[in-house]
Amino acid sequence: MRLLLYTGKGGVGKTTTAAATGMLAARRGRRVLVISADAAHSLGDVLCERLSGEPRRLAPGFDALEVDARQVVESHWGRVRAYLVDLLRYQGIDEVIAEELALLPGAEELATLVCVEEWACSGDYDLIIVDCAPTGSTLRLVTLPEVAHGSLRWLLRLQRAAAYVIEPIARGLVGAPIPTGEVFAEADRLFYGTLHRLRARLLSKETSIRIVVTPESMAIDEARRSLTDLCLFQLASDAVIINRMLPAEACREVFFQEWGRMQVERKREVEETFAPLRCLVAPLAEDEILGVEALAEHGEILFGELDPSSCLSESPRLRFERDKAGARVRLPLPGLDRETLDVTRVEDELIIGVAGRRRKIALPAGFSKLDIETVVCRGEELIVSFGARGVDGSTGASQ
Amino acid sequence: MRVLLHTGKGGVGKTTLALATALGAARHGHRVCVLSTDPAHSLGDALGERVGPNPKRIADGVYAREIRAQVELDRAWQSIQNWLRELLREEADELVAEELLAFPGIEELVALRAVHEVEETGDFDVCVVDCAPTGSTMRMLRFPDALRIFMQHFFAIERKGARLLRPLVRGFEAGRLIPREDFFDAFERLYLEIEDVRQVLLDGERTTARLVVNPTKVIVDETRRSFAYLSLYGIATDSVLVNRVMPESVGGGYFSRWLELEREALDVIVESFPVPIRRVSLRPREVIGTEALEELALELFGDLDPATRFESSRPIRIRREAGRTRLEIDLPGITKEEIDVVAKGADLHLRVRDARRMISLPESVVGRPIERVRLRPPVLEIIFGE
Repeated sequence: MRLLLYTGKGGVGKTTTAAATGMLAARRGRRVLVISADAAHSLGDVLCERLSGEPRRLAPGFDALEVDARQVVESHWGRVRAYLVDLLRYQGIDEVIAEELALLPGAEELATLVCVEEWACSGDYDLIIVDCAPTGSTLRLVTLPEVAHGSLRWLLRLQRAAAYVIEPIARGLVGAPIPTGEVFAEADRLFYGTLHRLRARLLSKETSIRIVVTPESMAIDEARRSLTDLCLFQLASDAVIINRMLPAEACREVFFQEWGRMQVERKREVEETFAPLRCLVAPLAEDEILGVEALAEHGEILFGELDPSSCLSESPRLRFERDKAGARVRLPLPGLDRETLDVTRVEDELIIGVAGRRRKIALPAGFSKLDIETVVCRGEELIVSFGARGVDGSTGASQ
Repeated sequence: MRVLLHTGKGGVGKTTLALATALGAARHGHRVCVLSTDPAHSLGDALGERVGPNPKRIADGVYAREIRAQVELDRAWQSIQNWLRELLREEADELVAEELLAFPGIEELVALRAVHEVEETGDFDVCVVDCAPTGSTMRMLRFPDALRIFMQHFFAIERKGARLLRPLVRGFEAGRLIPREDFFDAFERLYLEIEDVRQVLLDGERTTARLVVNPTKVIVDETRRSFAYLSLYGIATDSVLVNRVMPESVGGGYFSRWLELEREALDVIVESFPVPIRRVSLRPREVIGTEALEELALELFGDLDPATRFESSRPIRIRREAGRTRLEIDLPGITKEEIDVVAKGADLHLRVRDARRMISLPESVVGRPIERVRLRPPVLEIIFGE
């Protein structure tokens, strides 16, 4: 089973690209499911079909669904939710409003994860493609299992212990309903079970993330930051898709000549910035790409001879590490000439200069207060170590 | 202080137009603060210079700030954070506690609080907010309502409970779970701040939303629904900004089909939104940096002050006619099947697609039956009987 997540800034064409990938793979014999995870679903619009929370067959080997957070929460979070609704109603809140409130923050992300894991386990599909919400939410989505695994699990354990101790006392004093063991058991199943499995799946080789950009600097800037964030959580990306390149014919239009020239520059920038990730290019079509046939054609143009479900390239192994000994950034830099290396930190970005070419790496939040301590090259890897909290400002070091 | 919320589907140019609006307003003499509440910030990308969590001067009279939950939490909510840290003490190191604090819901809270902070300083006449794409923005706007209900019904009890329980569980593992008084104090302060923001957001004279669209069917459809949700939550939209309209010089050729689709979308825009529409054309190059943004502002607003309230009608209106009271609400792009109305006591329960809200009814109609519900697009009319 292969899992592909399509992410990128809003409006770059994630949905179209994800659906086109799926249709092409189905046409080439795979059993494919495309899942829309964006609460503002547009997968149905692109496919010109009405979709629901259950897979719908739209072409041989091609199914699609739009995650219905309410429905998933109802079936997997029912007891916890029922408890919350009880509690709210006990407070004299109207049931309708109580149900609304019981849709906890994060419920949408959670619902998507549960839905993906469920279908991944079903054995019905060779390839599952997730069309994610714009960048911010995607990150929230992919990091949720990580966060939940780390801290919620501990919180839940404590809460449960507390409920057993406090319940008999509290019921008398406060009078409010107290969660029962069953409520916690359900939370356990969800966090220990489903999310734990999904976390393993996201980190395994079967999962790749594909970043969609348009050849415009704002989309590229955002993609660059999300690559760093994805690396932080050790999620592997295998390709960048440059969408809506103006074809030569379109550039004949006077108004678009400058756009055309700039796009060529931006494309080169993407190829350099994201190397060694493979870059695929999709031209701006002459018409909207709607419906399964048009999408499959678009997939052919995008992938050509390539297998859309294969791992298209190895992810750059940029890594952020943080432990008791300190914090480090590790970046593979094959063929590095030490003499030309220059590393500086400017606010929350690490700037690595090699032979006059500079690469900016957005540092994760936890690094922003640290100063560079040492910069060493071990084998073909650059290791930048950060020391204790320093004063603000930029610090330079090179070796 | 005037608050201008910019929202819309992802990628339509919210950040670009929010910045253009801010720069335009500064030209009219306003002191402006631009806040980005989208966790995937792009103010810096559009300006071509770095913007961070501290206000940064980007032009005469204009400051910009990208809200980062982490920084705000460090800054303002020590006691709440300390409680969480204590709770997680044994197994979690600092990093995990930080991760927990970046949990969904916190971002909305932090964003709203930032608006409050700008107001509190008294240094600004206009606060331009560059919001996250529609879905998250709706979550943000719904947040104060939810928090208010929570506070009214729970807070007193929680606090009382904590007071009573604390002596009983002292020394037990579970004792750590019960927050100290200063946690509740901090929480209450926070609530009062959010309540302030709620008042500001619901005041149509101070706060209006600007919906940014591109002339594309899918985007227009989604934006109509956003308009309806904003109305439902009581937020007044005072204009729709159409970005990236093809310039007249594009004659067709490769783009002839796109031009056709664009004309259709523009027609729908004009028909569906009951507020003024402003347009700005696709530029011959990327719009990056203050100079290009100011140029854009000029095309968008001409000589008008961008901080003007372009539409004064409220999203929810009470009208009286021939002895009958009628409640009107603007809901473009919504069909009758997607609406559910029930009057309960002093409230009207209104559901629009998957969003619900309780609207307080004026005293004159409390207890009266709903006689008729009529949809005259884009207006939903609820007529109360005698």
